[in-house]
Amino acid sequence: MNAILQIAWREYRQYVFSRGFLLFLILFPVGFVVGAVAFSWAERQLPTRHFAVFDETGLYAEAIDREIDILAARRSLSAWDTYLELAAKKDALDAAVEEDAIPEPFAPGPVTTERATAFVDAGGAQAAIAAVRPYLRDGAPAFMETSRGIVRVDLPASAASADSLEAAADALRPFLNGERPVIGPEGAPVDLFAAVLIPAGFTADGGDDAPEAQYWSRNLTDNDLRGAIARALDRALSREKLETLGVDADVLDDLLDTDAPIADFRPDRDEEEAELGVRDRVETIIPGVLTYMLVFIIMGVGNLLLTNTIEERSNKIVEILLSSVTANQLMMGKLIGIGAVGLTMPTIFVLVGGLLTFVAPGANELVGGIGSILFSTPLFAIYLFYFFCAYFIFAMIFLAIGAVSNSLQDAQSYMGPVTLSLFAPLPLVLVMYQNPNGVIATILTWIPIYTPYAVLLRVASDPPLWEILGATAFMLLFAYVLARLMGRVFRRAILSSGPVKLSEAFKLLVSRED
Amino acid sequence: MSQPVLSLSHVVKRFGRLAAVDDVSFDVQPGEIFGFLGPNGAGKTTTLRIALDIVAPTSGMVRILGARSAIPVRARIGYLPEERGLYRKMKAAETIAYFARLRGVPGREAKKRALALLEEFGLGKFARVKNEALSKGMAQKVQLLATIAHDPELLILDEPFSGLDPINPRSLEDLLLRLKAEGRTIIFSTHVMEHAERVCDRFMIMAGGQARFIGDLDAARAAMPPRVLLRTAAAPDDIARLPGVVSVEPRGDKVGETGEREYIASLEPGFDPQAVLAAALAAGLTLTKFEQGGASLHDIFVAIAGDAATPDASIDQRSRAA
Repeated sequence: MNAILQIAWREYRQYVFSRGFLLFLILFPVGFVVGAVAFSWAERQLPTRHFAVFDETGLYAEAIDREIDILAARRSLSAWDTYLELAAKKDALDAAVEEDAIPEPFAPGPVTTERATAFVDAGGAQAAIAAVRPYLRDGAPAFMETSRGIVRVDLPASAASADSLEAAADALRPFLNGERPVIGPEGAPVDLFAAVLIPAGFTADGGDDAPEAQYWSRNLTDNDLRGAIARALDRALSREKLETLGVDADVLDDLLDTDAPIADFRPDRDEEEAELGVRDRVETIIPGVLTYMLVFIIMGVGNLLLTNTIEERSNKIVEILLSSVTANQLMMGKLIGIGAVGLTMPTIFVLVGGLLTFVAPGANELVGGIGSILFSTPLFAIYLFYFFCAYFIFAMIFLAIGAVSNSLQDAQSYMGPVTLSLFAPLPLVLVMYQNPNGVIATILTWIPIYTPYAVLLRVASDPPLWEILGATAFMLLFAYVLARLMGRVFRRAILSSGPVKLSEAFKLLVSRED
Repeated sequence: MSQPVLSLSHVVKRFGRLAAVDDVSFDVQPGEIFGFLGPNGAGKTTTLRIALDIVAPTSGMVRILGARSAIPVRARIGYLPEERGLYRKMKAAETIAYFARLRGVPGREAKKRALALLEEFGLGKFARVKNEALSKGMAQKVQLLATIAHDPELLILDEPFSGLDPINPRSLEDLLLRLKAEGRTIIFSTHVMEHAERVCDRFMIMAGGQARFIGDLDAARAAMPPRVLLRTAAAPDDIARLPGVVSVEPRGDKVGETGEREYIASLEPGFDPQAVLAAALAAGLTLTKFEQGGASLHDIFVAIAGDAATPDASIDQRSRAA
């Protein structure tokens, strides 16, 4: 046992105390933070898109302005809700909301057009900050207003005086191509991002022959503006139609701003616990995350096992090792050591996550939720059990491949099918996730190399117990037989001097031990 | 006589139809240096692996340090394989300590011994240097120190002299003699006879998987026909016609200005070399040199194993099958 632990400890140290691993541990959270900061920075740095409208009808510019205002208000409200989530003292804020101490649009809630408009009408972010200031955490960062994003500018004089759509388009070309700037709302020159040209006769009653509105822009990927204009024109045309039908057009705004509230319930719970909350959503996501993590950890540590066995074999260290320990002890030591490497990373992330609950504002609820799901339910124990099973099955295969290969190049021919079979179920994860007790999930549960993934994905969906127990027993039997066979290949191939051909490896697999 | 440290009895190892080791039996006594001699592919490495229970024999019996298998007594054995390497990223002292720990030395003691050995062998300042940064000679020393750091009673060294730079073989010979003086038993294989001749108490010559000779140098010489060295301008046929001469071989290619050349004449067992000298003079041969002497280990080796030497290619075949 001591020799196995010695080998395991050496393997573990070799990787975990290597510069590469430590660098990864530092870089991963740093990369995470940098990514998050970069994302939010990029969000705020989105350039303001300036556009102009040439409207021969003179009817639609106002509708477009209104839609753009709504878009900006919704964006601002969404940023405000996120800010409250992170910066406010939850209990104090909830109490204040309860007592109506905070104007309604400033309190957290669903992002609807009605609330967004009310938010702007009530004074926007500045007024909102003033209203919630007593309920913010100490040292909470200041709210950073989102940029408006889309701004309408006046047409350049040459286009404004155009007498046709074609002439307006021609006049706008140099501005749209960046050759000339237009004058922005604050009097400074700005680039013209797009132009909307609305022809005379653009109407709801035009039928199929009605002229089309034109959207001119060199940027075909940023569709926010195009979408807003399409919605604005849709709404304007709808209003026109309603008016022709004799219905008050403002009814349309009321109709479109209606957001039906829906709450989710589970029928298998008592009435007071039946409504789904954040915890339930996290609970359904965690198995999927764990499954993906499992696949990537196994691939990562499997590669470590492979390269490390190849190194010992090609460097001829293995014979010295085998004069000190048996081949089985060597195998076990490697399995334990590298398996521990595989568990180190998630363990560190869990610890860092736990630490974050004390230092990161607003992370308490989510991280606490994840923590309680992992540790107050059998999920974590189940995950560990199936992690070890999946790891053991694939690790034995990697070890045997390492034992028959003198270089990574030699190993490639064996690795192809193994990698393929390891990743094969990934495309089906979504299917299993959506239908955890369906046919595909059941089939994968009974294929021993996929049993761990399938069970992890299904465990939160109350699969039939007999099926899980049966498939697990079958998987354990498979793992035992595989360990015998792969162990045989390892023991018999590890000392050979050259790479072992496929046919020879097969012989080692099936022939009797010496 | 005390109990042998290692005893192989009728050991056979087959890889398919090939008998890599064919009915080999021998004993190694405590405190002796026992040489395994043989051409490449003779079965030396396989025999050593069988002794260490790294490879199981097809049939036959092994007793090592009183046990039926090396596994329970591994901590008392030091093994240096022919093909040997080191973990590239490990430091020299760490490597030696690691292998000592694997063989049962407690962690702290293993570290202490590793540092002391490195110091003793002039590598003290390289203790914390990674193996990949060591010169080949230094790496070889580290390998050897890793073999002896756990203070083994029995050392099994497979071709320890192969790949050494020109200065190291003599120091390795000295080390082997020192280890023997400390009471350890040493078995080593080689195909370079000079080393064996200088340090072995007894040796076994293997060829084609079989043990062709087991004994000491005197016994080997006694088993060889007597030989004489002659320098003469006479034709080899004239020497071959002398009574008692079995064969004549020129020694070296050099022919002097007078046309003289040196020849080794092998005689019939028990034949008196003086009678050859008398017969040569009587036959009118002019000799400028005449010496009688025993065979060198190299001659003995060639005489015993020479015809069975196998091409190098077969080694690969066998080790692959292993």
